[in-house]
Amino acid sequence: MVAEVHLLRLEAISKSFGKVQANSEVSLSLSAGRILALLGENGAGKSTLMAILAGQLQPDEGRIVLDGEELCFTSTEKAIGAGIGMVYQHFKLVEAMSVAENVFLGKKEGVWLRKGDMHQEIARLAEQYGMRVDPAARVGDLSMGEKQQVEILKLLYRQSRILIFDEPTAVLTPAEAENLFATMRLMAGQGKGIIFISHKLEEVMSVADDIAVLRRGRVVAAMPASAVTSTGALAECMVGREVLLQVDRQPLELRQIVLKVAQLSDFGLGEVSFELRQGEILGLVGVAGNGQKQLVETICGLRRPQENAVRLLGLDWVQFFRNPSWERTLAYVPEDRQGLATCQGLSLLDNFLLTTSAGFTRGPWLQRGLAADKARRLMEEFDIRPADLNAQAWQLSGGNLQKMVLAREFYRKPRLIVAEQPTQGLDIAAAEDVWKLLLEAREAAGILLVTGDLAEAMALSDRIGVMYRGRLVDLFAVDDEDKVALIPQMMAGLA
Amino acid sequence: MSLLRIAKRQEPLGVGGSCCVLAAALALSLALAGVFLALGGTSPLSALSVLLHGAFGSRHALEDCVLKAIPIYLCALGVAVAFRLKIWNIGAEGQFALGAIGATWAALTFPELPKVALLPLMAAMAMAAGGLWGLVPAILRQRLRTNEIIVTLMMNYIAVLLLDYLVYGVWKDPTSFGFPMTPLFSDAAIIGRIGGTTINWGLAHGLVLGLLVWAFFRFTRTGFAVLAGGDNVRAARYAGLPYDRLVFLVMVASGALAGWAGFVEASATVNRLQPSIMVGYGYTAIVVAWLARLHPLAIGVAALLLAGLRVGVENLQLDLQVPAAFGGIIEGAILLTVLAGGFFTTYRFTRRKRP
Repeated sequence: MVAEVHLLRLEAISKSFGKVQANSEVSLSLSAGRILALLGENGAGKSTLMAILAGQLQPDEGRIVLDGEELCFTSTEKAIGAGIGMVYQHFKLVEAMSVAENVFLGKKEGVWLRKGDMHQEIARLAEQYGMRVDPAARVGDLSMGEKQQVEILKLLYRQSRILIFDEPTAVLTPAEAENLFATMRLMAGQGKGIIFISHKLEEVMSVADDIAVLRRGRVVAAMPASAVTSTGALAECMVGREVLLQVDRQPLELRQIVLKVAQLSDFGLGEVSFELRQGEILGLVGVAGNGQKQLVETICGLRRPQENAVRLLGLDWVQFFRNPSWERTLAYVPEDRQGLATCQGLSLLDNFLLTTSAGFTRGPWLQRGLAADKARRLMEEFDIRPADLNAQAWQLSGGNLQKMVLAREFYRKPRLIVAEQPTQGLDIAAAEDVWKLLLEAREAAGILLVTGDLAEAMALSDRIGVMYRGRLVDLFAVDDEDKVALIPQMMAGLA
Repeated sequence: MSLLRIAKRQEPLGVGGSCCVLAAALALSLALAGVFLALGGTSPLSALSVLLHGAFGSRHALEDCVLKAIPIYLCALGVAVAFRLKIWNIGAEGQFALGAIGATWAALTFPELPKVALLPLMAAMAMAAGGLWGLVPAILRQRLRTNEIIVTLMMNYIAVLLLDYLVYGVWKDPTSFGFPMTPLFSDAAIIGRIGGTTINWGLAHGLVLGLLVWAFFRFTRTGFAVLAGGDNVRAARYAGLPYDRLVFLVMVASGALAGWAGFVEASATVNRLQPSIMVGYGYTAIVVAWLARLHPLAIGVAALLLAGLRVGVENLQLDLQVPAAFGGIIEGAILLTVLAGGFFTTYRFTRRKRP
């Protein structure tokens, strides 16, 4: 083996926020041409560490050494200039602009933009790395997966030498993820260094050359991937105890229909029809951007369908949403926790009240004290940190925010649950809790689970539906092995 | 490399910090005003002393401040209600005019009613007229997607012209020697003064209404819905909050409060309707609401401060021949510095650590 070139070294990086020590003497090194996976639970300090690398945050102590030279990033711009680029979990794109414009945004040289050249260059770059994205498309119209490709294109265009991916597969389907991995390997092959943050152990094992595990802000393990014996051992290292990756799912007796979608053809959907009954979980899988978003938004009252296309709990859509009650009804756990499910500038108590306020109302008065008692108990039960009702939503990490949303929505004792990527960004222990919650909730509710994680869909669902180009390609029982084997082809429109 | 860098706050800025930022913003705007004065050949320090003395230096000045602060306070309270939902109501001036018109209609139509009946009727008419004037842009916004800033602003001009039309025409006092004004209100239509002061009972109206607005946001479910909708429209829709209705509600409430200010001004200050009541309180109210970060109690303090500025500038005009527009300059400077100071609620400067 040739002596490896250390492209990047982190030396004893420490960072704290108030009393919370997010990183404590973290030392890591990344070699050119290798993929380093960074594993850790929610709040283990991965995001902080990467924000430091990307120039968003400055470390309290420690050094960043690039090519043997110490660096001090004061802005993301400087980090990008030094060749360190990051694909964030929450994309940083201008929705109203085209793909090409987003990629060229922040480019320094030249005053004039030549649209034709721009498009050509991006199309070439995209093709080179096996991505399919139209340079002229408006970013706001793209799916999450496509948006991620734009983010990657931005970095490739700027010739970043170190690319950091913050949970990149969370929004991707298995096929898309495979594509991404191929792209990552291609990039590594060209001598770029890649840091890959993920919760998905199999992925890490399949793609990473080196693995580092963070726990409570410290590096607890760092080793080449070849030295790892099993994903179980890795998971144990991450959470500090053995975790069960399987959940026990017993079929329940099906009861009344809670959701009926009939020939729904609005918003680019193609005659989607299905029924959902109390006692079952229907897992909806497919590549992001194949109509799942439109379907979910219609069911959850954000888009109005034509008459009789959607019936919820026995009522037509219009009737249902005219005067929805707050409990024993529809609960929607959206993928977009920050933009849709919470008010970032309000306290956790106010966010808890967002969908439950009707339950804490007497006359015109809101019973905040009562709500606070309840919310405090839920915070304990769901282990939400910081456990402070006065903290504002933007202060919470993604995982904790999701737990807050789940705590709130389950408190409403829903009879119909629409859960969109419910465990995205959660660590294994928290994901397991969510899975158990969903399985328990099945007793009283019908659950529509929209997920990009096929393993999750398989573990939880009683039936699986596959979406492709706005159509529900097939719908079958999860123990129908022939059909299950065909899922990848169905998602690609081949079956 | 600069020694300071900008970092996002991890904790929200506390009350003490906010006060410091506000004080700094005010000081900066006064300094800016000083530069303008110096350019005009007036000594900034003597001007400042005249300004302060004129505004707060005597009992008469203080009473004048409070008198001017009452309509400003009510308008700002209204503006703040709409701003909470991030509906940018710039129309307090017009809603104020409509309130004065509504109250005047009641006063001129039922002059014989006793005080206990007439004053509430005038208040109700003022609120109805102001509220409806606020509802129009709200409906246009939610149904036709117009921009409420532009519509409310334009409607101010319509409202002022409507007021002019009335006092120059149908409501004109036949004994006014051609001056555009209505006849004096009957005694029953006049809000009285408090004890031996020149301050009228509008002050008490302000206190009660301020308390109501505070309680509305603090204790009611609808108030909570407004806060939530103001923070995140999408989350409001997600939670099934009736966003359209909230917009209508805050604009009606906003207009009604500004309308109440018009009622107090017409009834207590001039005892009739005349164009001179339109002196821009509705615009000052916007500065006040922002300065106070929309909090009812702070709005009271800020209203008093900006009323003081108006009174002080009058003295400045008399003593140092500073143009009247100077008051507007300071007001604008305050709004700009306070808005700029908002930066510090989310970000902070930190000294760079040398590694």
